[in-house]
Amino acid sequence: MIQSRRDFLRALPTITVGAALAPGPAIASTAREADGKHRWAMVVDVQKCIGCQACTVSCIMENAVPENSFRTIVSTYEVHQGGHAGTYMLPRLCNHCDNPPCIPVCPVGATFQRKDGVVVVDGDRCVGCAYCVQACPYDARFINHDTGKADKCTFCAQRIDAGLLPACVETCVGGARIFGDLKDPNSEVRRLVDQNKMKVLKPEMGTRPHVFYLGLDERFQGRVEGAGTLWQPSGRGE
Amino acid sequence: MDSQIVEVLNVTRGVAWLPWAVSYFFLIGLSYGSFMLTLPYFVFGRAQHEKLGRLALLGALVCGLTAPVALLADLHGPGRFLNFYLHFQPQSWMSWGSFFIPIYVGGLLLYAWLVLRGDFAAQDRGGDSFHARLCRFAGRGGAAPRMAISAAALLTLIGAVLVALYTGMEVMVVRARPLWHTPFLPLQFAATAFAGAIGLSLLFNRVIGGHDTRLEIGLNRLLVLALAVVLMLGGGWLFVSLSGVSLSHSAAFNEVAGVPQWQLTAVWAALATILPMVLAIWRPASSGLITGLIAVHSAWMMRWTILIGGQSIPKTGAGLYDYHLPLGGDGLLGIVGTLGLWIALLLLMVDYLPWAGHAFASRNNKATNTLVADAVASH
Repeated sequence: MIQSRRDFLRALPTITVGAALAPGPAIASTAREADGKHRWAMVVDVQKCIGCQACTVSCIMENAVPENSFRTIVSTYEVHQGGHAGTYMLPRLCNHCDNPPCIPVCPVGATFQRKDGVVVVDGDRCVGCAYCVQACPYDARFINHDTGKADKCTFCAQRIDAGLLPACVETCVGGARIFGDLKDPNSEVRRLVDQNKMKVLKPEMGTRPHVFYLGLDERFQGRVEGAGTLWQPSGRGE
Repeated sequence: MDSQIVEVLNVTRGVAWLPWAVSYFFLIGLSYGSFMLTLPYFVFGRAQHEKLGRLALLGALVCGLTAPVALLADLHGPGRFLNFYLHFQPQSWMSWGSFFIPIYVGGLLLYAWLVLRGDFAAQDRGGDSFHARLCRFAGRGGAAPRMAISAAALLTLIGAVLVALYTGMEVMVVRARPLWHTPFLPLQFAATAFAGAIGLSLLFNRVIGGHDTRLEIGLNRLLVLALAVVLMLGGGWLFVSLSGVSLSHSAAFNEVAGVPQWQLTAVWAALATILPMVLAIWRPASSGLITGLIAVHSAWMMRWTILIGGQSIPKTGAGLYDYHLPLGGDGLLGIVGTLGLWIALLLLMVDYLPWAGHAFASRNNKATNTLVADAVASH
């Protein structure tokens, strides 16, 4: 047992080597693509989001998202109510729905759902027709002008397959994004979903999203009624 | 408690179906509408409709050949279009469309060749020029048998109906956009396509048909009927939206009702439908140029408003996305380029196809070519 700071420093190499060799957290040790044993999902605790956009930036860096395109963003609103003004932050990303409307419309079968629930695009097959972009009720898809293909959040599939967390979760300063396996009864995501009244965006669309929101204000659940943003960059960063 | 929300920061999604798509929906609509106008003469043998049949055939061909080019250009990866045929997806209307288009365009080319085969043969006066060789080759066998023409017309008709069906359904099934998600939409696309096709025939009658007054009166009468259907469908949509019987329709109406530019568009669309109706009834023999132009304009405007306007409504964010027509290939240049291809094909067809037939050609062949050249120069 480590009793003092000196013992701790002596033991540090052992701890480091041990951490490198030991199995990772539950998500990492069991993540295998397409085995159907997992159902990846995210819980967004809106009250913990501080709107720093670290998730937005890390997503861009991790996934080489072109300028002025976003796989995730924290929508930020100014709310005036009863003589007070406040700021409301709402992280948005692909909802990896159980009934994703983007998949059946694809004319070439380029967009599909893995057995672990992650909705992805096969870039070799995608013709860039943008039908999926139209069909997504969450404006979560876009045409990547560098590749000419449909682009979207993949829960950082390349990272979760390697036992890592999605970049946005990894960098979330307030701990607002919680990612995990819904099929794992011990996962934080499962616990939160079971113990709280979760909301999803646009439930009336019947898409059964797998991004759940904790503390979501109903005024932001669908299309927001309010004044539009002034900042409207073009799709190509011009 | 009253609250006011101002969106400070959000993503802006640019239009993903570009003006190329508007050009496609517009041209393919004019094409299948024009094809229908060719049937009374070429299939049912009504001699009094010869001029209409021949002018409409020209319209069907020139629009039908230009439309797929615009559609291909709308793909962000046009070089991968072969994937449509390698990976058929029966649950996707667009996938079906990729098969319906060749059925329609292929059928139309076969039909046009068969109905003009006799005219090709009649124009073959020997010699070694390109035109003489084309007439000899295409006119081999002389006038086509009635059965062959009817079979080709049936194939094209099936293709036309399937294209009209899929272009409407493809947009209608998009539940994420309430403005598109209405059963009125396929009918509105078809009705405005017919009105636009009648308008195109009115214009062709003036510009390359030698202004046949009887035809103009007949087409103007038909236009009134087509526009009445357009008005009824528009009124039907408005009624369903306002009455509250459909939440999706009401949502679509509420998204745009309070926006000044959408209010202007609605007034403009109503005027562009009622004005040509009034003119066509009031001056059926002399208003063809203006009623034709407005009808073609309405068909374009309807598609522009639905497709580009529809994409400027955010699905989650507040307000509207700004859309400014880019000057390059994704915008103005694309539209002008499509028009250029359309004009070039029209000139080629007017010059090399015996579209005007024998009797008709001898009356206005020379005048026709001069008029087309003048019209193009004035653009």
